[in-house]
This record gives sequence, C-alpha cells and structure tokens, in this order.
Amino acid sequence: MEFKMGPETRQVQGTWDASTYKFRMDGTGVRLLTEGMKDKKIKGIRCSECGMVYVPGPTYCRKCFVDIDEVVELKDTGTVMSYTVEMADVRGNPRDEFLISAMIKLDGADSWFVSSVKGVDWQEFKVGMRVKAVWVDEPAGSLTDIDHFEVIPE
Amino acid sequence: MRNVAVIGVGYTPVFVSKRRDVNIVEMISESVDAAFQNTGLTPDDIDAVTFGNMQTFEGLNLPHLWASDHMRAIDKPIIRISTGGTTGMSVLQAAYYYVASGMYDVVMAVSWEKQSEGDSQVGLSGIVLPEAMTMVAHGMDLFTGKGIGFGGGGSTGAASYQAMSYLHHSGAEPEHIDKMAALERSNAALNPYAHLRKKTTVEDIQATPMVAFPLRFGHTCPTSDGATTCIVASQEMVDKLTDGNVAWITGVGSATSDPCTANFLEGQITDPAEQKPAKIASEKAYRMAGIENPGRELDMSEMYNGFAHQSLMWLEKLGVCREGEAHKMLDRGALDIGGEMPTNASGGVFSTNAIGTSAMNRPAECALQIMRKIEGEHQIPKKIKKALAHGWGGMFQYVTVMVLADEPG
Repeated sequence: MEFKMGPETRQVQGTWDASTYKFRMDGTGVRLLTEGMKDKKIKGIRCSECGMVYVPGPTYCRKCFVDIDEVVELKDTGTVMSYTVEMADVRGNPRDEFLISAMIKLDGADSWFVSSVKGVDWQEFKVGMRVKAVWVDEPAGSLTDIDHFEVIPE
Repeated sequence: MRNVAVIGVGYTPVFVSKRRDVNIVEMISESVDAAFQNTGLTPDDIDAVTFGNMQTFEGLNLPHLWASDHMRAIDKPIIRISTGGTTGMSVLQAAYYYVASGMYDVVMAVSWEKQSEGDSQVGLSGIVLPEAMTMVAHGMDLFTGKGIGFGGGGSTGAASYQAMSYLHHSGAEPEHIDKMAALERSNAALNPYAHLRKKTTVEDIQATPMVAFPLRFGHTCPTSDGATTCIVASQEMVDKLTDGNVAWITGVGSATSDPCTANFLEGQITDPAEQKPAKIASEKAYRMAGIENPGRELDMSEMYNGFAHQSLMWLEKLGVCREGEAHKMLDRGALDIGGEMPTNASGGVFSTNAIGTSAMNRPAECALQIMRKIEGEHQIPKKIKKALAHGWGGMFQYVTVMVLADEPG
C-alpha cells in the first residue's frame, strides 16, 4: 500500500492584503494604561460589582457583564504566575541571549500580562517569584515605558 | 434522541508536509472516495454533509462550495463549521446532531487542511490581527522583547506558558515531556496515516533545540496536508447498510472559556493550564455515556496534543486521572499501546497535524480501534469497549469531547 505521489500539479501565486482591513477596537483600557505610564503610574479598571481589577482591560466586566469605569492605581510589583524562556525562534534557530518572558499578576490586579524579566539566571527563575517594574528614564506614554521587570530579592 | 454510529472512515492516502500532486478539492475527494470504498456506500446514500477547516490557513473563503462536486454533495445540504483546532470534532458532532435529532439518517462529515498552500504563522496571526495591530499602535515592540504585552515565540511560545504552569501544578518534570514525545512519535511510526513516522527515543527528542523552555522543537507538532471523512448513521441505517461492526457515539460535550493566550487588551484572567472547558465538556460526555469512573471504564484515549506536554495535561483535566498522576502513569507504562490507558496510539496531533482534521482524527481513530479496522500496526491488542476522543483549539479555550463505544448507549 505504498503511496506514490503523482506528478506535481500547477501552483499559482496568491495575494491577501491584510492592510485592506480596518478594525474597530476599543483602546480605552490600554490608553488609560499608557497615559498613566507617562507619570510612572500603572492604572487599571475595577468592577464595582465583583471587585475584579483589569490591567489594562475592557470597559465592561468580563464576569458581570456590566459597564465599568472605576480607575484604580496599582503598584508596580507583582507575582510570576507562569513563564517561558525564549531560547530559539519558532523555526529552531537559537537566540544569542535567552529571554525570560513571564505572565505577571500585579499586586491588586486580577488580570495577568506578559513582560520580560531580566537580571536573573533562567535556571534560578521560578513560578511564584516576586518581581518589580523597571521604568525607562523618560517615559513617553507607551507600552515600552516599562522596559522589563526584575526579581525582588528576598 | 436516536442512537448514532460511525460506520466508516476515509483518510487521504497520506498526511504529509506538501501534497504537490493535488489541489485542495482533489485532496478532499480522496478522503470522500476512501469513505465510500470503506463502507460500500454510494453518494445516493448520503443525506447531508458537514464540513470544516481553519479559514486563514489557505486564504480561501467558501471552500465547501468549491468542493461540492468533489464531495458528491450536489443537491444536498452542506454546512461549514470552523472552531479553530476543534473544527474536526465540531464537524463530526454536527453530523451526530443531524442524525440523533431525526432530521437525517446518514450524514458525511468532511474535514481537511492543506497548510502547504499558505504559511501557518500567518494563518495563526489571522486569529489575533485586530488585537496585535492595536497593541503595536500603542507601542508594543514585536521584536526586541522590551516593554509589556509582548509574548514572543509564535504558537510554541504561547503553549510554553501553559506547559510551565502545568509542570508547576502537577509536579511533572521537563523530562516527562521528552518521554511523552518519544512515546507518541514511536506510536506514529506504526501508523501509515501519520505524518512524522520515525521511531524516536527520549535522547532524539532531547537533542532538538529548546525553543521556549520547557518546550523543545521536538515537542512541537508538524503542519500537514490531509483530509478525513467520517460517515455516521442512525441505528436503523446501521442495520440496513452495515454488518453491525460499527462504533457508537455514546457521549458528546463541548465548552468554551475566555481566550487565555496572553490576550492583552481585555486582560488575561485565566491560567492557560486551567482548561476548565475540559472538565465541563468531559463531564457532559461521561454523563451522557453513563460513565462514572472514566479512569477505570475507558479503554483508550486519543487526545488533541499540539505540544507533547498536553497529553499528560488532558488526562488530568478530562478526569481520566487525578492532578499530578499523569506523569506517574507515563513512568509505569500505563500510556503505552499495551498499557492500561493507551493514549494516542495513532501518534496524536503531535505526529500529524492537518489542523482541520486533527480533532476529527481523534474520534476516527477511536472508531477504527473499536471496529478493529486500524490499517497499521498500532491496533491496540486488548478489546476496546469504550474510547475517549478529545479536541482543543481557539485561543487555548475550546474543548470538544466524544465518547465512542462498541454498543449503543
């Protein structure tokens, strides 16, 4: 039952231009975050019914489905909930430097986000470690105003 | 609700990286023809067709209408279903609903993917385009890893957070992922319809580069071209059209959670390793199938595992064993083809991944194992009375489950 592939059939080049699409996206939560980052503050949105705090977050609660707009300020410290260490690209080509990327839950927040963690040996890094944001000298109101996180020494 | 059985399966002759010799609809027709050949049915016996694949992988809209001739579906109802990685099983579940409800008696479920005609990374990014573009507009750096919100590594990167959280909560070690990978690839070597068919040792896996710790290149599924067709029928039609050697669908369940792959704009509120839909969907399916102790009553499982840690994770999340037990089952050989819970005797998605088919191949393999019609050396020696098939997809959030058995419910 050996399969023998038949002669190659013709191939034509296609095109699919993603730039023809213009998506409507509510940037309220991420704008609240980046504008606060200009002053080295991290701001999220809290649901007054269940207390969930989203950083950034939608303008409705994802548990209660009510509109939410209570702004809360969070500390720039948090806990590592999971992580990975990027050692090669998706095709297997090794990276020059390993990069730790952690899912971080800021103190006071219920949502997690991803950020790189530097200044620690990846083999020492663990779920549950405490981390703190490292800000750039002159934040400009962008997601890169926090350059990375570092481990808080015990 | 009527009893429904899978009466036959048709695969394309192979699942490989590139089918250069056929176009999409020609490839689909190969599996449809195989299903007719394997059941002795003709197109006139089929009342309706369900169909599925993942849209952005081939950049083709309405493939089911292009394929209508090739599926012999002219004058018949066709519906296309697309639920990410669970597509194949959703398509088969829909065929089940058609027959169980009494609307139709014999339904053909067709799934396929021809990933060689597109780019899988582009296909996957088609899921998150609006979010990704918004984040870039707010300063997210796609390349250097600076700033917050950046989660790199493509699909392997996304799965690695899940793998790390799973290891943390279960007590399994990265070496268990290597062991599961070697087991499944060695199983695939026995399966002529698998894609990656080289007998593989733990050392072979450990020699592959680490992409996103704890996931190696050798822990990652391939991308494949292939199509799978299943034919389902009511009990009355089973009596009329078959010799009775069929696989009954006794349990069906599915559930969704919120997207949990580092989605930034709306906040990630769920651990990607929690997978609550697996608990909900499996409980539904077990209840329907009359199964109270899945670990004891099931004879085999086929899990949707794009990444080698997932077989272990799903055994726990689907209630086949307790949290933290799966790697111990692996260590004592319970997951081997000759073990008490043979898992992915086919090699799983981890060895063959034409994405649209991947969640249909799980119940297809279960059906073939029950009917003892496996064309290959991975037929499980012991009699299979009850089998568990699982599908997973979307933004780490969809789970589908089916239970198949050698007797109707």
